[in-house]
Parts: sequence; C-alpha cells; structure tokens
Amino acid sequence: MAHQAHAYHMVDPSPWPLTGAIAALLMTSGLAVWFHFHSTTLMTLGLILLLLTMHQWWRDIIREGTFQGHHTPPVQKGLRYGMILFITSEVFFFLGFFWAFYHSSLAPTPELGGCWPPTGITPLDPFEVPLLNTAVLLASGVTVTWTHHSIMEGERKQAIQSLTLTILLGLYFTALQAMEYYEAPFTIADGVYGSTFFVATGFHGLHVIIGSTFLAVCLLRQIQYHFTSEHHFGFEAAAWYWHFVDVVWLFLYVSIYWWGS
Amino acid sequence: MAARLLLRSAVQAAVTRRASPAVALSRRDGGIPTDEEQATGLEKKIMNAMKTGTDPYNILKPKEYAGSKSDPHLVPSITNKRIIGCVCEEDNTAVVWFWLHEGEAQRCPSCGSHYKLVPHELPH
Repeated sequence: MAHQAHAYHMVDPSPWPLTGAIAALLMTSGLAVWFHFHSTTLMTLGLILLLLTMHQWWRDIIREGTFQGHHTPPVQKGLRYGMILFITSEVFFFLGFFWAFYHSSLAPTPELGGCWPPTGITPLDPFEVPLLNTAVLLASGVTVTWTHHSIMEGERKQAIQSLTLTILLGLYFTALQAMEYYEAPFTIADGVYGSTFFVATGFHGLHVIIGSTFLAVCLLRQIQYHFTSEHHFGFEAAAWYWHFVDVVWLFLYVSIYWWGS
Repeated sequence: MAARLLLRSAVQAAVTRRASPAVALSRRDGGIPTDEEQATGLEKKIMNAMKTGTDPYNILKPKEYAGSKSDPHLVPSITNKRIIGCVCEEDNTAVVWFWLHEGEAQRCPSCGSHYKLVPHELPH
C-alpha cells in the first residue's frame, strides 16, 4: 500500500552505510598499523567488513528493485546519472596517472639519461602480449554489446552465452597481464618508469577485476530471470563500466606501451 | 586462440540472427521475461497507469496553460490547498509564494496569472 504521491524511492533505514564507513576507517588505519607495527589484523578486519557491506548493500538494492518494484522510471534515471557520475570520477582518477606519466616522459631528466624509456629499461614489446590484450578487450566489448542486444530481444540463451564469453575474455586478459607482470624485466622500484608503468596498469588491472566481477553478478542474475527485456539497468551499468575499462586500456596501450617504448 | 573463439561465436551469432524472424515483438519467447510479465510493486502500478493515460505519481511534466481567466493553470492537489510559487517572468529570481485553496481560481498577487486547484486522487 503506497501512500506517496511521487514515484521516488524513500529507502528504509539501513546499517550498510555505517558498516561501510567503519570498514574504510579500519582499512586505512589498518594500513598504517601494518606499516609501523607489522600486523595485518586491523586491515584484514576492515577488508572483511567491506566485502560484507558490499554484498549486503547491493543485495538489498536488488531486492528493492527487482523483487519489490521500487525502481520506477524516475528512480532508474537517478541510478543512470549516478553511474555516469561515478565513471566520470574514475576517468579523472586515471587522468592523474596519465598526467604523471606524460610529465616524466615528455621531458626526461638527466638522471634518467635524458631519454625515454630511461637508460637501462627494456620496455615490453607493444606488439606481443600487450597487443593480444588489446584484441581481447576489444572483443569483450563486442561480446558484451551482443549480450545487451540479446537481452533486449528476449534471447535468453544467447544472452547467457555472450555474457559468459565476455567474462572469460576478461579473465583471459587478467591472466595474461599477471604473466606479463611476472615476466617483466623491470619492477615498480625501477625509477619513475617502473612507478608510472605499474601504478597505471596496476590500477587498470584492478578495474578489470572489478568489472569482471560486476559482469559475473549480472550473469548470475540473468540466469535467475532478474532482467526483463525493457528493464535491466544493473546489466547496463556493468556494460558501461566494462567499456570504460576497455577505453582506459586503449589509452594505456597507446601512451605507455606504444609511444612510451 | 582467442581469435578462433571469437570467429566461431560471431559465425554462430550471424547464423542465429538470420534464422530467427526479424519482427519487433516485445516477446519472442526466447526466455527473457518482459516488464508486462514481471514488473511488480510501484513500477508495475506506474506502468499500468501510463497505459491508461493517467499520471497518478506526477512523473510527466505539468501541462502548460495560458494562465488567463478562461485558461487558468490547473494545479492538482491531494488535499484542499497547495502552495504555489509563481515565477512571473522567465529568469525572475523573486518567486511569489501563496496558498491556493479549492474553489474559485485565484490570481498571482504580482503578475495576475490565474490558478485553479483541481482534486488529484491519492494513489493507494
């Protein structure tokens, strides 16, 4: 019995924002404790609390939207704005690391040998595994678009197959990149080249893992009939995020791997 | 290896698309439910109301009226009065606020536009 005259969702009181804030506190202070007192207990506790918070908060959102019907058109519009703004903030996050890279590489200091790549650094060949990684992510962009069209056209089997393929491609990228990290002839400690390379590609890799996880959750939901052919914003948000991850890789590839070699 | 996988799935997709009828049906019985079948709660109520042309939850933009005596602004209200904020001219920063009561149309004390309260069914 709705007694409101508006289409918005007045959310019930929830403990998850508080547990999330506590998790953030425990993780940050735990990081400092780890650095100074060699104990990872506090940080691990924070991490567990963070995972529990994410699981329960997003589970509640799925309950409110899919099972209780609170995600009316205006509510969905707000969720769209929210995801777009979040992705925009992530764009700025990566912009910082690209700034750092270009700052150091456009005018290499004498300490580096006045050249880029710096003296002593053997960069990875951009036309080997990095090029394969590019193809893998571009292909995953195609398959996730395929998934979207399948959902809109009511094709359940194709949606599940193409989404699974997308996730497998994402995992393939992660595995290849992990191998590259292991085999690389330079480390994060190798001057500003190592710092810019591993921080930028490392954060990108983390976002690939996050994106793959988001898509995997969508796969489970799709299998369980959560999405309709008209209303499937959770999936759209995951697809937007995945395309964003792909675009960041393209910039990384062209700037750091290719121009930077 | 990835290229072969992609090629295979691309071929499969192309073949499947040609085989199925290219009709713009909302339901193809491909196994994905439609909102018609699965929407629930407020989302379903709004969906059904939109079909009959009503807007019980005031989602759509209010209709435009001239504001004259014969074409007053019609203001829906779930009670017998509602606050009006009249921006007499575009870009005015001083909004004219007043209560609009049920009954005869009232006029904005500043620009004279006519406003009339109309009862709005509280969705329940």
